[in-house]
Amino acid sequence: MAEIQSIELIVGLEIHVELATRTKMFTRVLSPAHPDAGEPAPNTLIDPVVLALPGALPVLNKAALEMAMLVGLALECEIAEFTKWDRKSYYYPDLPKSYQISQYDLPICFDGSFDLPAPTTDEPARIKQVGIIRAHLEEDTGKLLHELPGGERVEYSIVDFNRAGTPLLEIVTQPDFDNADDVVTFGQALRNICRFLEVSEGVMQRGHMRFEPNINTILTLDDGRIVKTPIVEIKNLNSFRALRGAIEYEFAEQPERWKRDGKEMGPGAKSTRGWDDVKGATVLQREKEDAHDYRYFPDPDLIPVVVDEAWREEVRSRLPELPHRRMKRYMDDYALTVKEAAALTDEREVCFFFERTVDVIRQKLESILPERAGKQAANMLLQYGAKRANEAGCLISELGISPEQVAGIVSLRDGDTIGSSAADELFGLLCESDEDAEQIAEKSNLLQVTDSGQLEAWVEQVIADPANAKAVEDVRGGKIAAIGRLVGGVMKLSGGAADAKAVREMLVAKLGS
Amino acid sequence: MTPPSPGQNATILAVELTDFSAIELRDAIRSGETSAADAARACLARIEEVDSGENGVNAFIQTFPERALEQAMKIDERVAKEGAETVGPLAGVPVAIKDNMCLAHGRTTCGSRMLENYESPFTATAVQRLIDAGAIVLGKTNLDEFAMGSSTEHSYFGPTRNPWDRSRVPGGSSGGSAAAVAARMAPLALGSDTGGSIRQPAGLTGVVGCKPTYGRVSRWGLVAFASSLDQIGPFGRTVSDVALALDVICGFDELDSTSVNTSAPACAQAVDAPINKLRVGVPKQARNEKNHPAVAEALERAIGVYQSLGAQIVDIDLPTIEYGIAAYYIIAPAEASSNLARFDGVRYGRRAEIGAHEDLISLYSRSRAEGFGEEVQRRIMLGTFALSSGYYDAYYTTALRARRLVKEDFDRVFATEGGGPGVDVVLSPSTPTPAFRIGEKADDPLAMYLEDYYTVTANLAGIAGVSVPAGLASMDDGVRAPVGVQLFSPPFSEERLMRAANMLESGLDWNDRRPPL
Repeated sequence: MAEIQSIELIVGLEIHVELATRTKMFTRVLSPAHPDAGEPAPNTLIDPVVLALPGALPVLNKAALEMAMLVGLALECEIAEFTKWDRKSYYYPDLPKSYQISQYDLPICFDGSFDLPAPTTDEPARIKQVGIIRAHLEEDTGKLLHELPGGERVEYSIVDFNRAGTPLLEIVTQPDFDNADDVVTFGQALRNICRFLEVSEGVMQRGHMRFEPNINTILTLDDGRIVKTPIVEIKNLNSFRALRGAIEYEFAEQPERWKRDGKEMGPGAKSTRGWDDVKGATVLQREKEDAHDYRYFPDPDLIPVVVDEAWREEVRSRLPELPHRRMKRYMDDYALTVKEAAALTDEREVCFFFERTVDVIRQKLESILPERAGKQAANMLLQYGAKRANEAGCLISELGISPEQVAGIVSLRDGDTIGSSAADELFGLLCESDEDAEQIAEKSNLLQVTDSGQLEAWVEQVIADPANAKAVEDVRGGKIAAIGRLVGGVMKLSGGAADAKAVREMLVAKLGS
Repeated sequence: MTPPSPGQNATILAVELTDFSAIELRDAIRSGETSAADAARACLARIEEVDSGENGVNAFIQTFPERALEQAMKIDERVAKEGAETVGPLAGVPVAIKDNMCLAHGRTTCGSRMLENYESPFTATAVQRLIDAGAIVLGKTNLDEFAMGSSTEHSYFGPTRNPWDRSRVPGGSSGGSAAAVAARMAPLALGSDTGGSIRQPAGLTGVVGCKPTYGRVSRWGLVAFASSLDQIGPFGRTVSDVALALDVICGFDELDSTSVNTSAPACAQAVDAPINKLRVGVPKQARNEKNHPAVAEALERAIGVYQSLGAQIVDIDLPTIEYGIAAYYIIAPAEASSNLARFDGVRYGRRAEIGAHEDLISLYSRSRAEGFGEEVQRRIMLGTFALSSGYYDAYYTTALRARRLVKEDFDRVFATEGGGPGVDVVLSPSTPTPAFRIGEKADDPLAMYLEDYYTVTANLAGIAGVSVPAGLASMDDGVRAPVGVQLFSPPFSEERLMRAANMLESGLDWNDRRPPL
């Protein structure tokens, strides 16, 4: 048997995004994907349409269509001038009508592409494009449960129809991915786009986004043959960890599977697997892609939708600057690193907070260069804000500090009237206060002491301290690195209020090196 | 006439009141000549008299006597306290509702074992509009299960009998509503028409029945059979009553995407004015040699009436009538197979008992096998087949193409430009034959399907149609059975349709004939 010389990975993605319209896709009941729904009890977001009661009819929620158009436009898709609704028929207890209203041959969005943002390293960015085949709207199903809320086991299945009828956008990419990193990067970028467009909160744990990668490998054998392993579709991945894990697992496993069974890609060879988070492995669900006949046909209860140019352009005009474009702008204009820019565009609210902060700084300090304002604001938020947000389990924008207050700290730092550790402390204090940065800094004695008399006294005290004798000797002898200990000593004495630069200068002058 | 005191001459009065047209009754209630409560009592008594028992008409699946009286008394109270002008155009008029329309009271069965005990939490828009206009709902009428049939024999609640001869069918699927109006159990009723289910029973029972333009009447609350063809419409004993009911039920409804947002018709106001120089198209296909002689005669009689009224008779050709049945029996079952898929025994309706070790498929198939009758099962299978991959293009796509041709055929004859004959209305028989015997066609689905020969094209084209009584046929067994003729008019021209129908009615006067019951 020929040996495998090299393995190439091929991945295409299907992504389901629950659109956060206020009401469901075809009726006026509140949608669980909308923040207003909160944590509804089972089977409370229901009405005759959701339950498919006899005589109920669907009426399209225009907001769902416009959200789909927004995402499509963000992914540079064409928007269909004529689109319609089709019934996809199959029986399952979580599907009330026994058909799902979907879009079969004329999806609302098609033929798009997306430039992958560079991975979050500081390597030079490489441009990699992912083709978007289509994005269509459909309604979600209910949920079948096998235990009671609370976890009690029962001998039967129960259904919660809260989710039924929630608008879902299904985005299908070309099989353009050759590594798991890019898939995850794309997934995260798409989530951010959805957040910026306000079409989804993008909370993975709540199922706002679900991924279904189609994975196979191309094996080059030492006898020159090229073998394609059968395509495996992984269902319903709702975390980036699972997405990465499943792809990496299949990448490693498919060549081994081929060695065992010799099966190659071809009609009927496709299988469906699920991801077992505990085992860290994919698990077979369905061996052969059943030749399932969904008997699609146009839904006669709904009228086709014509999207004219005026409507399409009106929707386009609502597109905000998207996170990946903002990221690039931050790197170009503020000289932020990829990592910094990514951290600031990851959340819509943080991003807006950052931009407001930059604006205030520039108003406050008219002489400051834009690049410096951006960099300073980024430093403040990422150095002092990120760790606090992390501890508090909230966003930087939710810490309680305002962009004006952050700008105040920047202003104090810029004028050297506050030291680095005092700035950190001040940041913390401002999270709890509405007062100006200057007022709080003064009240809390955080302003730097530049008064040379006071500084001199502290410097003399440190030089005289026997514990510092060695350091004093070293500095006098030209080992300038030893000065750090002495500066630190003065800072400690001053309770952080001394101007470190001035202290250093004074020490150098006194110790004559 | 002075308002009668309760109990006085009740029987004689009841007979009189049940003979009143809807408009006469409304006017009498408004003027205080009679009361809504007496009208309701009279109809309920009539139902009691002729509908139940072994040889009863069986038009109703259920009646709401107490609720009807309660509602009627509220109308009377309003007339007395707030004045006649405060009550709607159907104030106190008893109505019967085909039992495939939802009502948030009683059961909505669709004539099916599947929904034998189903109670709807909401009321259909068309029914609500009647109620809002002051109508009193007497009960829910019998139908072929899920409106699939042309005889009202395919009901879980037994067949409805034709009031003219109780060994015959009343037509269907709205046979219960048609029979209720013909037998004077109600002056007005609602039916639904997917391929002729209002016009065909109207013809076979000697009443007026109208299928409005597709999109005219909201389908919200009408249990769907074939969504692209279904339309609710009224039965009455006079064209004027039907015109009034149309005005009430027509209109845009945001709960139905296919409801058309156009100004509601004003038929009642227009109906008495004859149309000058009316152009009546008579397709050569209407003079089919398979027509029963009485049907052929009725058609010529109608032509004669129009001629005597100064109308112009135009010979036209509608060759696509021939495609109608074939296209209809692909499209309607295809949609039905999907619309009825929701009856799976999971959320409501009949659920079969299954063993602990049986699977989901058993639950579905057994519930549906128990819940649906033979004709419904036949159509679900036909439709499922037509939509299956590999057959879809040959059947469904082809049927849609035929449907488009039917539509274009009507567009052509109604058009004046491009050398079209520019007719105002098209005249044809309602059915090829008068009412057949119960059981006669029950085992011959194809013969049954041909009942819709003259009616289906209006559904396929989405145009308006009305059946008007046009004669009585003497049958082999000595029975006299009604025959009707039918008028079509272009989409959203119900006013024209009602005026043309009224001209015919005034010249024929067959609606005065009462069934021997």
